[in-house]
Amino acid sequence: MKKNPWWRGLAIGLFLVYMLVPLAATLLFSFATRWDRSIFPEGLTLSWWQAVMDRRAFGLTLKNSLSISLAAMLFSVILVTPTAYWTHLRLPKAKPLVEIFTILPFGVPGVVLALALIRCYARFGGAIVYSPGMLVAACMVIALPFMYRPVVNALNAADVKTLTEAAHSLGAGWIATMTRVIAPNIMHGIVSGALLVFSTVFVEFTLANLLVGARFKTFPIYLVEFTRFDGRQASALAVISFLFAWATSLAVLWAMGRVDREREGALGAR
Amino acid sequence: MEIVPIGTVVVSSLRDGNGQPTLANFSRALSPMLRASFVNSIRLSVITAVLGVVLGTLAGYAVMNARSRFFRGAATALADVATNFGGAPLAFAFIVTLGSTGIVTLLLSRLFGIALYPGFRVYSISGLVLAYLYFQMPLMILLIQPSLRGLRNEWREAALNLGASERQYWLRVALPILSPSLIGGFLLLFANSYGAYATAWTLTGPDINLVTIRIASLIRGEVQLEPGTADAMATISLLIMAVCVVGYLWSNRLSQRWKR
Repeated sequence: MKKNPWWRGLAIGLFLVYMLVPLAATLLFSFATRWDRSIFPEGLTLSWWQAVMDRRAFGLTLKNSLSISLAAMLFSVILVTPTAYWTHLRLPKAKPLVEIFTILPFGVPGVVLALALIRCYARFGGAIVYSPGMLVAACMVIALPFMYRPVVNALNAADVKTLTEAAHSLGAGWIATMTRVIAPNIMHGIVSGALLVFSTVFVEFTLANLLVGARFKTFPIYLVEFTRFDGRQASALAVISFLFAWATSLAVLWAMGRVDREREGALGAR
Repeated sequence: MEIVPIGTVVVSSLRDGNGQPTLANFSRALSPMLRASFVNSIRLSVITAVLGVVLGTLAGYAVMNARSRFFRGAATALADVATNFGGAPLAFAFIVTLGSTGIVTLLLSRLFGIALYPGFRVYSISGLVLAYLYFQMPLMILLIQPSLRGLRNEWREAALNLGASERQYWLRVALPILSPSLIGGFLLLFANSYGAYATAWTLTGPDINLVTIRIASLIRGEVQLEPGTADAMATISLLIMAVCVVGYLWSNRLSQRWKR
């Protein structure tokens, strides 16, 4: 087979440069003293990081974002896992319908969703529409596919039907079957889904900005405010945000990779 | 949680302030300035989707055929993470990189004497194209990889044995097989770009004329207009998105044909 590695190498090189330069630039920028006259920063400092961490709003917005993400993650796990299991086992006919529901969030821009929620629930008063609770619910809608997909993939892989029948014939009730047989077997799917929900909601800006805005500042809102008046400290915040995204994504890959290895191991043992 | 609110918007886009059916909201939503926002949004989405499909497919092919297994894994992980980046941090990273005192801007002008400014501005539509590609291209890499893996070596060997050139193989065999996936990828990337808000808002501010920015400023009450206007704009957007989603599902089914 003829190889033409020159354009492949070039493509990969350009791709990597394009993907990595903005990250490296932001990281360097957050440590640089002054960097608008010369090619290299005139010095390195930790003071931007210090300044940004010292603000009270930093801890507050981080806490707000974490609680929103954790709440959305928890409710997604509690709601989506049994639903996926139930449709998988009992209502295979409803599957296409549920699949469409999970594609829909892709087709509804965040701005439109925010508008729709405001219009629909406005009659219950601003206290409900513009509340963190509404934000959690809205985030769950956009994060639904991220939760549903991995769980369904895990269900497909685990032969849930046999497991359920076995559990029942051994006298386990529904709750025991769910929590002690099914859940451990699809745990990697639940964990990946939950992490994806977490990372999606953590960086969510559109809904947070339009639904709660200044009343309940999340980390991304805080970051955008900073980009308007202090680039250095904003770059430190952006780096934190990137690190969060990387950490959760790597955790997802790790969770999935572990399953692959387990499967390989199981095959080898046979 | 999803259907009811969206239904409310569609219904209220067809009503005036007194609840009477009307199309006035739509005619307002298609006034010259707002119509321009649709044109801008669609143009931006088409450009980033086409570039994303082409570059993402090339990069995806190059990554997939890389020799080192570790590199393939790492590049896929990078694409995976970058797809979810977007938003404020991404926009800011581009300001730092290509802004008026950005790092690449400085490097180019000091080392090569190329002045990016004022000919190019990162805070404009062309800046948005660059920033959007940062999540469009990786998304395409992830979308196209299963189809690229589905291209069997036997097909290529068969074509070459029958006297086809490398170029003929790509044009006559590989591309037709890939085309449903490419179309599906285009539609998904289009929708992805059309709905993006945070990146545009951080990078260019509220003055850029895009649909999502307009709807958001109507929600925030920065612009005084009939409330129905936002609903009408949202409804038109939903129609555009519906075409994308349906087209995507259809192309997905077509591409399954070759995966037996």
